[in-house]
Amino acid sequence: MNIKLVFKLIGRILLVEAVALVIPLLVALLYREDPVPFLLTIAIVAACGLGLSSLPCSKKQFFTREGFVSVGLIWIITGLVGSLPFLFCGYFATPMDCIFESCSGFTTTGASILTDIESLPKGILFWRSFTHWLGGMGVLVLATAIVPTMGIRSHYLTQAETPGPVFSKLVPKQSQTSKILYSIYFALTALEIVCLKLAGMPLYDCFIHAFSSAGTGGFSNRNASVGAYGSVAIEMIITVFILLFSLNFAVYFLLLTRRWKEVLESDELRFFLLVVSGATLLITFSNLEVYSSIGESLRYAVFQVASIISTTGFATADFVLWPKFSQMILILLMFCGACAGSTGGGMKCSRVLTLLRSIRRDLHHITHPRSVEVVKLDGKVVGEDTLHSLLVFVGAYMLLVFGAALIISLDGFSFAESFSASLTCVSNVGPGLESIGPTGNFSAFSSLSKGVMSLCMIAGRLEIFPILILFSPTAWRRT
Amino acid sequence: MDIVIVGCGKVGFSLAEQLVLEEHNITIVDQSEASLRRAGDQLDVMTVRGNGVSVATLREAGADNADLLVAATNSDEVNMVCCLTAKNLGTGYTIARIRNPEYTSSLAELRRNLKIDMVINPENATAIEIYRLLRFPAAANIETFCRGRVELMGVRLQEGDFLVGKPIHSLSSQVKKLSLLFCAADRNGDVSIPNGSFVPLAGDKLYLVGQPDSLDQFFHLLGRNAPQVKQVFLVGGGKVSMYLAKLLSATGIRLKIVERSEDRCRLISERFPKAMVICGDGTDSELLDSENLTSSDAFVALTDRDEDNLIISLYAMQKGLPKVVTKCNRQNYTGIVRSLGLDSVVSPKFITASHILHRVRGMQNSQGSVMNSLHRIADGAAEAMEFTVGPNTRHLGTPLKDLRLKSGVLLAVIVRGAQIIIPEGSSCLQEEDSVIIIARGGVILDLNDIYDDDAGFVVPTGGAEA
Repeated sequence: MNIKLVFKLIGRILLVEAVALVIPLLVALLYREDPVPFLLTIAIVAACGLGLSSLPCSKKQFFTREGFVSVGLIWIITGLVGSLPFLFCGYFATPMDCIFESCSGFTTTGASILTDIESLPKGILFWRSFTHWLGGMGVLVLATAIVPTMGIRSHYLTQAETPGPVFSKLVPKQSQTSKILYSIYFALTALEIVCLKLAGMPLYDCFIHAFSSAGTGGFSNRNASVGAYGSVAIEMIITVFILLFSLNFAVYFLLLTRRWKEVLESDELRFFLLVVSGATLLITFSNLEVYSSIGESLRYAVFQVASIISTTGFATADFVLWPKFSQMILILLMFCGACAGSTGGGMKCSRVLTLLRSIRRDLHHITHPRSVEVVKLDGKVVGEDTLHSLLVFVGAYMLLVFGAALIISLDGFSFAESFSASLTCVSNVGPGLESIGPTGNFSAFSSLSKGVMSLCMIAGRLEIFPILILFSPTAWRRT
Repeated sequence: MDIVIVGCGKVGFSLAEQLVLEEHNITIVDQSEASLRRAGDQLDVMTVRGNGVSVATLREAGADNADLLVAATNSDEVNMVCCLTAKNLGTGYTIARIRNPEYTSSLAELRRNLKIDMVINPENATAIEIYRLLRFPAAANIETFCRGRVELMGVRLQEGDFLVGKPIHSLSSQVKKLSLLFCAADRNGDVSIPNGSFVPLAGDKLYLVGQPDSLDQFFHLLGRNAPQVKQVFLVGGGKVSMYLAKLLSATGIRLKIVERSEDRCRLISERFPKAMVICGDGTDSELLDSENLTSSDAFVALTDRDEDNLIISLYAMQKGLPKVVTKCNRQNYTGIVRSLGLDSVVSPKFITASHILHRVRGMQNSQGSVMNSLHRIADGAAEAMEFTVGPNTRHLGTPLKDLRLKSGVLLAVIVRGAQIIIPEGSSCLQEEDSVIIIARGGVILDLNDIYDDDAGFVVPTGGAEA
């Protein structure tokens, strides 16, 4: 374990974060608010960053183990760094609340402990949403795009941070791939800001909601989330964009390079669209007992389905009041999540699809024990070891959800609350059921639960193993 | 440049490794998921799984826009078809690895019909390298420039050599009048370009460049002019052996070849009736002894296992054979091999990668001076390049003492017509000269790259003239 190089790398990332913190500082100055929380944070982060990155390090070895450990550590440290402005601004009750809010931001979960969001300064709210934007595509992907990685095989870092069962580059060079991803991300975000502005949203709110939907996070600067605007146009724009952000970003690269055929043949894309439309239809009809017309029911259903499957967590309606069938569909969507290679969370559509196909294969194998069949995705064979790690991942995901729910249940909330709190954190969605629904918040949980949930959010964002490995003694041994 | 490498075996991988270091965009195509994963994990490359002859796979790998495609799968035929397909898709330049001796005779025709721009044959290239080493046994390795008119040799200094312990500028006039230059020194893997005050020590590997007869005389003075090789003991009867046997038997050197497989032995005997072919295990010291190992002047270990080659080479060295050449594909262990005293280690993989690298560099500098050859010395820590001075070369006619070269760059030899000039402060470059440049670290693509134009002041060039 080359811990020195890992620290050096962490130092570099901290410097990138210090630079990123300048943006909310400028916003705070623009609205003539107190810039001290940001100035203090920048000073602390930059000092730590400079200190760590100037560590002498002779050994250059950096392998998968170092890659995973650095990603895990960087995300935990990033979560702590992000909490500093919240801590210094004085609007949060406990330090644990700050950490929860910051982790929820960077992991694009969007779960909040705030009861009255609108009372916070604009700079702090901007930072809250900006963490979504940074965390959506990934802090490390950003770092590999803009700073040289000291000869580290940056592949290991971005691989651990990019969600999905297989990690594939768009172009041969990692730094180039990162640049392309961020360019697409940046362009789509800018486009959303323009669209929202045209639909009549105030400019500041445009930035907040564009950042939140780009990272598929879900922080809003309104207590009633997107529902506060009551505008169909705004809802439709956000629906379209959160769906766009939950597609695999490779799709956009294929579109830009005019490889239409590969886009049309993408199994994951088709599956994703099928699930979205299927869930929307079911919820629309199931909700007819709540809403008066099909049109109204469809409007709320499509927004909520998009918001949950993309793991954003915006709300236009309180789905806690919907029929249990609709709520159950939303819970299933939380498990499924967005596409691999997107900014969304969950288990990812490609995993669910591959899982379904391998279940079909095994069923077929029972009836024809000597049959040999391969599982395919996008017309390509999914290797048996990829299948194996996929199953292990799904297993670990379930264990994490139930394990965290067990600890959360110590607080004495109902099963639905404990379980949905755990699931919504691991899948990076945001709202849960009953008291933690779209209108509720997480402030009632104990500090222990909040800590566990913060860790769950990071574990979910990094697809479990980079966090799990931090608890494995073998990763830290010298040999 | 955008480069596609088909086949991620020994050659493909080490080539990709080198090219990534030089900032090229590499895509690797292979059928095996395991080797692709290894490449993807260790190198900054894109990997595509599939067969290199399929249009869809090549297109996915971006062969339609690639500047270069290297086909290095283990099948000659796949490599040929792959190059043809890629060329038709629009790849700029194609290189195929073709190893089967059956194809070598019709190579020109194959190349023309299949639109292959360059053919590399690692085994043949290795055989040529070994052949050169055997022709001049005193040197640990030899590279030639300007069609053999200038040679670069490496020699390992031993305790008691007259060079050891004295600065180079204090050498006797006898050495000084020779037309040669100490161009690089390798001390335990630390490569430097020596100047006049450099003090060689025993165990250093010195690289000399100059006229062949001057080098001859130098080795004579050093007392290392080993007798001409007359009989060579070859272990292993693979492709390299076949090519080497062909070269050696043409010069009348007697051969003894040990090969394990009887069929293979028959084939060798059929090809080379004069050679003595022995069917047996070449790693068995008893067999080597009974076949009178010590009566040969040179020993070449060419089995397909690196470990076997190293062990039997050590055995031959211990038996006192004056020249031992070892084939070893693995680069990681060269340090250990070195410390054991084996100096002439050849690696087909390394040689092949050097050849292709040379071509890639050549393609990068389309204008300016032409790179005629590139040799990597001291395990790739330094490079020796030959350029032809063109009209675009800067500072023509300026005495070298008024120029500043980049650090780590040495202008070693100027070849002007029939003259071989070891440059002094007053020498200058002229158009159509051939020059040999030694560079440590940093990539020199063009002759103009050697000048350090940022510096405002003037210092004399490095290098230690003998």
